[in-house]
Amino acid sequence: MAYFAGTVVMALLAVVQSSLLNRFPFLNGTANLILLATVSWALTGRVTEAMLWAFFGGLFLDLLSGAPFAVSSMALVAAVYLASLTEGRFWEAHPMAPLGVMAVASLVFFALTMAALWISGHPMDPALAMTQVVLPSTFLNVLLALPSSQLAGRLREAAFPPPVRMG
Amino acid sequence: MSRSSSRALLALTFILIAGGLLVLNLGGYLQAAEGMALRPLGALQGWLSQRVTAVQTLLTSPTDLATLRAENLRLEAEVARLERELIAVREQAAEAEVLAGLLGYARTRPESRYVAARVIGQDISPFIRSVWIDRGSDGGLQQGMPVVTERGLVGRVAEVYSTIARIQLITDPQSSVNVRLQTSRADGALQAQLNGELWVNAIDQSASVTPGELVLTSGLGGAFPSDIPVGQILTVRKRDYELFQQAVVQPSADLENLLVVLVITNFQPLAPPGAP
Repeated sequence: MAYFAGTVVMALLAVVQSSLLNRFPFLNGTANLILLATVSWALTGRVTEAMLWAFFGGLFLDLLSGAPFAVSSMALVAAVYLASLTEGRFWEAHPMAPLGVMAVASLVFFALTMAALWISGHPMDPALAMTQVVLPSTFLNVLLALPSSQLAGRLREAAFPPPVRMG
Repeated sequence: MSRSSSRALLALTFILIAGGLLVLNLGGYLQAAEGMALRPLGALQGWLSQRVTAVQTLLTSPTDLATLRAENLRLEAEVARLERELIAVREQAAEAEVLAGLLGYARTRPESRYVAARVIGQDISPFIRSVWIDRGSDGGLQQGMPVVTERGLVGRVAEVYSTIARIQLITDPQSSVNVRLQTSRADGALQAQLNGELWVNAIDQSASVTPGELVLTSGLGGAFPSDIPVGQILTVRKRDYELFQQAVVQPSADLENLLVVLVITNFQPLAPPGAP
């Protein structure tokens, strides 16, 4: 059920990203709702779901983009996998951990996307891309990392409460 | 198998599937499936885009907002209905204004046939500058058709599905337009930077280019009809040791706030999108 519901949410987030969020860029960057949602969900420990959502979320993103199909999907799955590596680390519980994870995930996502676009023949000026898109977008993603990971944590507790042992 | 290695395997599986989809898409095998998936997404995109535009219009009109607030105070009981009505009327008025402009433009060029389309979304990738419109192959659109507003060139149709289409804007780094400067009659190639800045490259060194000069499509290469306004020269960069001059162009059309565009449907482009 969670797999299906999450996939539908990813489709809605992709539409919101295209119709609403991209109207308000910071320089030329915008926050990536699907990256925020999937990485935040991975940080709650539900990595398999997060990875499946990242896969489908990336496909939805690419459907609404001129980028080569499935490129965002690969980049998002890689970003979620990286986020999952924090599990079990001593700093996992640190309240600021989502910021660092989101920054790394965001940079990895953009690096892979840029590489794919470059390979597919899209003109790419790395310096301009870095200052106009990657850094502003990463900044916005990091800015929204805390509220989004808090929201994901609450959703996880509500939807999947930890088992309580009786007696 | 440990948890971390099973996750790595899962990630690898997804990436391989995505890679497979990428290859299938490059081969053109996913066109029909993409069209099917885009039909509901496009409808949802159009619905949401209209609401966002309406609210944006309302919020950016301080005088009318004040009037609306005063009315709200007097008619508290009817506030919700009045707000809805006002939003709808304002949106229609804004749209009528845009359409009147487009109609005026169409009348000045009776040789072209147009299809008007509403802009329903922007490209998700910040590296690509394109917009989605609510007309597709059902409305007679084909890949490569030029897209304009009453002010000038917007871009051209890059992808077409049954009910929606993607327009590659002239500010996309992959776009290239052959242009002619109106006064100096010099030819050049209009190309965009990643930040949306437009440059006319390859202008002959002997041409006397001045800021304010109008830039028009030249029609060379067959990708666009000739004499569509593209923009105005802002600054010129001329160095004696370089072969060509360059100029920065301010686009005529407001490409950041497109609401309705016209697709020229009776022009058969010779070059595919991406080629000059």
